[in-house]
Amino acid sequence: MYSTILSGALLGIRACMVQVEVDAASGLPAMSMVGSLGGEVRESRERVLAALKNAGIDMPPKHVTVNLSPADLRKEGTAYDLPIAVGLLEALGFFPKESAKGILFLGELGLNGEIRSVRGVLPIVREAARRGIKECIVPEVNACEGAVIPNVRIRGAKDLEQVMVFLMAKGKEKEEILPSRTISPEKLMEEPLSRQGYDFSEVKGQETAKRAALIAAAGFHNLLMLGPPGAGKSMIAKRIPDIMPPLTLEESLEVTAVYSVAGQLGDRALITRRPFQSPHHAISVPALTGGGVIPRPGIISLSHRGVLFLDELPEFQRNTLDSMRQPIEDKQVQITRVGGNLIYPADFMLVCAMNPCPCGYFPDRNRCRCTEPQIKRYASRVSGPILDRIDLCVELQAVEVTSLQQDPNGESSADLQKQVERVRRLQEERFRHTKYRFNGDVQAADMERFCALGPVEKRCMEKVYSEMGLSARSYHRILKVARTIADLAGEERIRAEHLLEAAMYRPSQEIWKQ
Amino acid sequence: MKEKTSYLQWLISCYELPGKVQRQILQAFPDPGELFGISKDGFEAVLPEQFAGIFWQKCREVGSVRGMLERMEKLKEKGICFVTQDSPDYPDMLREIPDPPIGLYYTGRLPRSEEACVAIIGSRECSEYGRKVASELGRYLGERSIPVISGMARGIDGISQQAALDAGGASFGVLGCGVDVCYPQSNQGLYQLLQEKGGILSAYPPGTPPLACNFPPRNRIVSGLAMAVVVVEAAVRSGTSITVSMALEQGREVYVVPGRVTDRLSEGCNQLIKDGAAVYLNPGRFVEELEEAYFLHRIRPDAPLAAIREEEPSLTPEQKEIWKALDHTPKSVEEIQRSLSTKISVQTCSIRLMELTLQGKAKQITAGRFCKN
Repeated sequence: MYSTILSGALLGIRACMVQVEVDAASGLPAMSMVGSLGGEVRESRERVLAALKNAGIDMPPKHVTVNLSPADLRKEGTAYDLPIAVGLLEALGFFPKESAKGILFLGELGLNGEIRSVRGVLPIVREAARRGIKECIVPEVNACEGAVIPNVRIRGAKDLEQVMVFLMAKGKEKEEILPSRTISPEKLMEEPLSRQGYDFSEVKGQETAKRAALIAAAGFHNLLMLGPPGAGKSMIAKRIPDIMPPLTLEESLEVTAVYSVAGQLGDRALITRRPFQSPHHAISVPALTGGGVIPRPGIISLSHRGVLFLDELPEFQRNTLDSMRQPIEDKQVQITRVGGNLIYPADFMLVCAMNPCPCGYFPDRNRCRCTEPQIKRYASRVSGPILDRIDLCVELQAVEVTSLQQDPNGESSADLQKQVERVRRLQEERFRHTKYRFNGDVQAADMERFCALGPVEKRCMEKVYSEMGLSARSYHRILKVARTIADLAGEERIRAEHLLEAAMYRPSQEIWKQ
Repeated sequence: MKEKTSYLQWLISCYELPGKVQRQILQAFPDPGELFGISKDGFEAVLPEQFAGIFWQKCREVGSVRGMLERMEKLKEKGICFVTQDSPDYPDMLREIPDPPIGLYYTGRLPRSEEACVAIIGSRECSEYGRKVASELGRYLGERSIPVISGMARGIDGISQQAALDAGGASFGVLGCGVDVCYPQSNQGLYQLLQEKGGILSAYPPGTPPLACNFPPRNRIVSGLAMAVVVVEAAVRSGTSITVSMALEQGREVYVVPGRVTDRLSEGCNQLIKDGAAVYLNPGRFVEELEEAYFLHRIRPDAPLAAIREEEPSLTPEQKEIWKALDHTPKSVEEIQRSLSTKISVQTCSIRLMELTLQGKAKQITAGRFCKN
């Protein structure tokens, strides 16, 4: 007897369909598995056989062959346990042939027959729906993430027995055994976000830094914050995702897919809050960019559409930082393997923070006793190419106690988000039919088109260029930031004052060169 | 005569021996020819025991008078000159001081006897205020062709010398290493410029590394070459205080730039003022006082000596108020905005500050700090 069961494989963030073929023939009792299998897929045989036995199924002595097709695609992960078990049951005639037709199965089996969670349910279900598959049986824990996909019935199963009973049942009984779940993503998106106790109104003083954070969030510009310990750099960084425009459904599905593939979704159906990732500076290159024996998305992909915050920037290994250069440019990570290329998205806003010198108090010479070479060495630990990709640089001052006690609360995150939202709509209008989404994305070639200057402004920029010794790259960065500042002011043309404000935030390696 | 100079030069190059011992050798063996036949015991009879061995070893290294001459000839080919105390080129100012160096290595030129020099010294890690004062004084002196003497170090030293040279004046750098060693490396540009428009001086033979113990003796040459020493910024117990005590010992006038009592880098300066040092107010007054004190006619009399005042530039009222709020100590945008009587937003304040910066009235020090230019 022969059976074919549908399942899916992950290819980076995308998925493709896999057929699990099982043949049971007479001969010496044995079970062999083929189809370019990774270690954990080969181990699947032991799990499946034990789970079947413990679910009370007596295996007849047959020669069983399992093939995972397409056979040239490397199969990894534990999600094939359930489809193999179902295929085996069908091939041995435990339930009618039509029962499992058109159903996609995913799930890891425990030896007791329990179905355990797997990674990447969302992208696989999404791909299945695209190919017209109408029904999926997934681990109960992962049912939520699949349930947001429209036009497909998702059933969460707890153990193998449940699945078997479901497959043997007929008509309406099925729905009672494994009820299908649907979650309206639109409704999830509408739910108000709790700011999790982080609000900009709690940040006292630091008006320039807050202003820079607002500009950065509005135009998706990368931001560098310089300042002594305890000035509030991390405090501001943590609050940036909440003033960025809310995720659209499309963006949210992208982010959720990454988290699903990384196995970090838990029982959430959809990620509706912009991600905020703050890796420790000892992080390794694969952990940051993604990879590993079984490839998984790295921190930069988990920051997709959100904020990647690198605190204590000079403490990061240089090669770790340099590994981000290409992803920042391409907005995605490519992992090249013998078996093929994987692509993970990585369109994030980079927010960095650092002390101006080893002790942290420069240029306050009453507290800072670092020598000039020490300060230069510290600054030079930040790789130039990364600094080149930062649009705004802002300096924070140590907070005075009077300011903590007296200053009124600043603008709340909700107020700031409203301004950002307005700018985002302007940008949507501006970049319709282009590859760009935000002012921060605009490349040098398109500067003339989107950041055009009048004659007065041109003269102002010429002066800034010569007075401040700009490079071509920093010239363009000022234009981009000025575009966002003009958008925030609600002006169609970039004016001289916008350029000047943008020029103040220009990052330069001369920051420390007094 | 030539032999005698080379002998002196070679003797100085034995910098393991203190100056006192070198002079003893010179007295005991006026003719270098005698040296090379003498045994170790022979030296021990005239020199302190621990130095006799070293010197004997040194004699063995060159072997003969000819070996010594050849060695000294090589230095000349590299453009390194040497003067002894007997030479007419030897700076007169140095002759006056106690324990003057027997000879000096130099590249470029030496200060001439008709040149009245001023030494400017201060901290390597200086503040924006010190930077400003040092370059202002350096420029003023440079414009009036008063050479600036300093140690070519980072911070105040290098800044004042660079400013003097930029203004067309001369400057001399006295090093604590060989004249062919550029220390610190970051002053490479200044090092070249000094050789063209002034000179590099050292009491140490070429190739000597910048050892910490070389610097205090070097400082006595800095103060010795000048008629007055100006201390711009100094913390308490710094190298600058050594120079000051040497300057006083040499009878040089010591001027001190006062600072705020809260600034660590001005603590040493303010202490010196309390101890009775002269107060430096501005370059004009300083030069005026110097002329009065020394009846100097060597300083060009036609140079205007009025105090330089900062002119109020023509600005909009808002710009003017912000400009007035600026200081020579860098202030953050928020600090400036808070100190204004009319309330404007931080954003407007930063725009005005950038306008002032473009007009050359203000200076952006770091990403968020500005000071008066």
